[in-house]
This record gives sequence, structure tokens and C-alpha cells, in this order.
Amino acid sequence: MMRTLVVATYPAITGSPIIGLASIAKSGGVRIADTEYSCMQGAFALIASATTVAEANAAPRPYALLCADVGRGDGTIEAFQLLPEVVSQVEPDIVVFHYMKPLVSLMSDAVSKIDDIRPQTTLVADAGGMYAAKAAGVADRFELMTPDVGEIGFLADPGTQHPAYSSKFIFGGQDFDPAHLAQRAWESGGSARTLIIKGAVDHICREGRVVARVSEPSVPALEAVGGTGDTLTGIVCALMATGLPTVDAATKGCEMNRRAGEDLGATPATSVAEFIVSIRASM
Amino acid sequence: MRSSTADGDLSGSSSQVQGLLLFDEIAEAMAAELVLIDHGLMVAMVAPPFDLRLGCDLAIELTAEEVSPALAHLLEAEVRVRAWTVSADGGFKLVDVATTVDYRQWLMVRVGNMKLTVTKDEGLIVNISGGGCPDIPFLNIELVGLRLHQAPRPRELGATICGLMLDSAFLEACHLLGVKR
Repeated sequence: MMRTLVVATYPAITGSPIIGLASIAKSGGVRIADTEYSCMQGAFALIASATTVAEANAAPRPYALLCADVGRGDGTIEAFQLLPEVVSQVEPDIVVFHYMKPLVSLMSDAVSKIDDIRPQTTLVADAGGMYAAKAAGVADRFELMTPDVGEIGFLADPGTQHPAYSSKFIFGGQDFDPAHLAQRAWESGGSARTLIIKGAVDHICREGRVVARVSEPSVPALEAVGGTGDTLTGIVCALMATGLPTVDAATKGCEMNRRAGEDLGATPATSVAEFIVSIRASM
Repeated sequence: MRSSTADGDLSGSSSQVQGLLLFDEIAEAMAAELVLIDHGLMVAMVAPPFDLRLGCDLAIELTAEEVSPALAHLLEAEVRVRAWTVSADGGFKLVDVATTVDYRQWLMVRVGNMKLTVTKDEGLIVNISGGGCPDIPFLNIELVGLRLHQAPRPRELGATICGLMLDSAFLEACHLLGVKR
């Protein structure tokens, strides 16, 4: 059993850092350091799903380091500043970088510091954490990244620093091929050792090679539901923390996330809070 | 904004010498764009060339000849410019290709890494997904539950490139549903 630390921002203009062990509140929200938060898109959705899976497996619940940020980068900087101290205190086995402003030099520095403090730490990146890790040139230090079809072209293109910058590998183009892009991303140093490329078919890749595909149950509405990528990352990290190999955790996590959507009868108007309740119920 | 699929060279590099205005904050770049457009300048939001980037950067590309008047306009408007330069390669263009998914009563518009889903009948924003910058969960809170005609534009509240991509998806949804903004 391993301990997980989630490093991210939360959507508030101002606020104190939220640092502590997470649990699921009776209301269904996520509780961190005696305060309850609703399961909205972003880090709270990731932490809620990871906590749900951890509690079901009698595994350690995730620890959170979250700072207030609405895009200006102030909370991102604060989180990076606090990270070495929190890593020293918590001694995590897995560190997950999630919603944050992709500040390249800070990510590079953070990875270096984690390697100094706990060199065996498994690193995971999604959302802005993934953008920063790729742009900083440290993607290959990471064990897992979870791009969607709008992001894998960015990982595969060494010349771009953010998915918003155009690439000929864009989803919908003739050249779009997740398997090929995973290989390019790995060979160019833009990829973690394991990728989950989220889409109609989830492609799970190890060192640039597709090793599993998950397409059932098929719930097309999930792409529209903000936060279902966050829940997937949370589920997979929680499974990794139980000792499952990354590829097995990724495959099982994709199936669990889809199953929760199917059981819920998810539509494009479903909220991630409803979705997390379904994860709990479908377990 | 083009719709449907990628159909052209999107690498975005210009063969002409271009002027580039660099900013510390995405919000400053977005404010500058509005000022310069108001003064009739042809500008484009781009990523700076690799050696000029700090992180989540956004620059404004314009002709080299227009750099000087642009700086004067921005000084007058009190929009801070970190630096300016000229580059033979110009910057990297933002994705401007929208794709859509028809979910019967809902429509999802995808631009780059961002997705916006609305009801077709009322233009009610029901979900925002994708992205990774910290303003996206904030925009989700602020925009979901509002109709396209009454909601603030994402670029008015957002402060990152993901927010700007969401703004493109928002405008495309307005265009497709006939909502004037």
C-alpha cells in the first residue's frame, strides 16, 4: 500500500492552502483538514474519486496540497513553494500534479527537489501538470500521464508548449492516430512511461507502444462531462497505490470510469458530482 | 473560425519578418489584443518562439512596421508589455479549428483541448470539459447554468490559454446556434 500526494490548485480568487488527508464526507463531498468541499471539476473530483477507491480497498487515502488560483498563477507558485516541505512531511510514494498553471521552470525545479528528497517517488501528471512536465522536458521522469485526444498531439510535438498551439497532429485531421502519436511522444521525450489516451476508445500505452484498449462499456456522453478525466486519474492513482502495476491500474480504471457512467445513464448534462456518487455505487 | 476538421497547414510559421509583443500575463496579452484591434491593427495571438518562452506564454504577432505604433497605443492604454522583438519565424498560431459532436438535444463544440456543451434549444451551458489551467474549474463554476446570450465571455473571466480556447468554443457555439455576441 502506498501513500499518494495530490498537488494542484483549487478555483478561488483567494484562500489559504488546503493541506491534509482527504476523506469522503457523509454528504458525498470531499473533506480535507476538517473542511468539506463539493466534488467539482478539477482537483476535488480527482481527490474524491481516489478517496472513494482507496476506502473501498482499505488503502491509504490521498493527501492534498491545494492552493487558490483562477489562472493568474499565484496559487500554482505557492503550491510549488510548499511542495518540498509537504513531501518531507508526508513521505508520499506517488505524487500527482494536476490543475495548475504550466510554469515550466517551477515544474523542472519541483521534480529535481522531489528526486533529492524521495528519489523513488512515482510521478503522475494530468491537466496543467502534464503540460508543464512536457514543456519542461521532464516527461520521461513520469510514470503516468492521461492526455485526451486534444492533448496527445501536443505531447507528440516537441515544438509546442501548450495544447492550444496548433499542431498537424490535431484531433480530426487526417494524420490523427493515437498509437502513432504515442510512439512519437515517447521517442521525442514528450511522454511518461505510461499513457492513457482518453477517447471513444481509451488507448493505454507503455513506452510508446499500445498495450491495451478499452472501449466498453461505451458511454459517448462522458467526453462532454467536465471532470470525468479527473475522476479517471484519481481512480487509476488509487489502484496504483494498492500495488497494481500501472498498466493494469490504467486498464481497470478506464473500465471502472466507464461503468460508473453507464450505471448512471450519463448524459452531456451530467455533473461530475453525480458521477462520483455513481463511482461509489458501482463499486 | 473554421468548422469540422483540420484541413490545412496549421504549423503557423510565417515566412515574413514579424513583430512580436511579449507579456508576463495572458490577461495582459488579451487586453492588448483588444486595444490594438480597436486601433485598426491586424494582430494575431501566438506562442512566442521557443527561445523566448517562459511557460504558459501568449504573444501578439503583427507586422514589424507596426510594432512602434502598437507600443505607443499600449502605453497610452496602460497595458504592460514585457518586451518586443522581431522574428523571421514569427510565433506559433493558436488552434482555430472547431469540431462538433451532436448529442441530439445537446451540442458539444471542441476547440483544441477545450470542450463546451450546450442545449440546442436554449443555448444553456451544461458542461465545460478538457483543459488543464487553473481558470477552467473556475470558469466551470461561473458559466455552467447560464445561457450563451447572457453568459460573460470566457476570455473576460479567464486568464490562461485554456480560457482563450474555451472562448473560441463559446463563440463557435454562438455562431452555430445563431446567438449574437
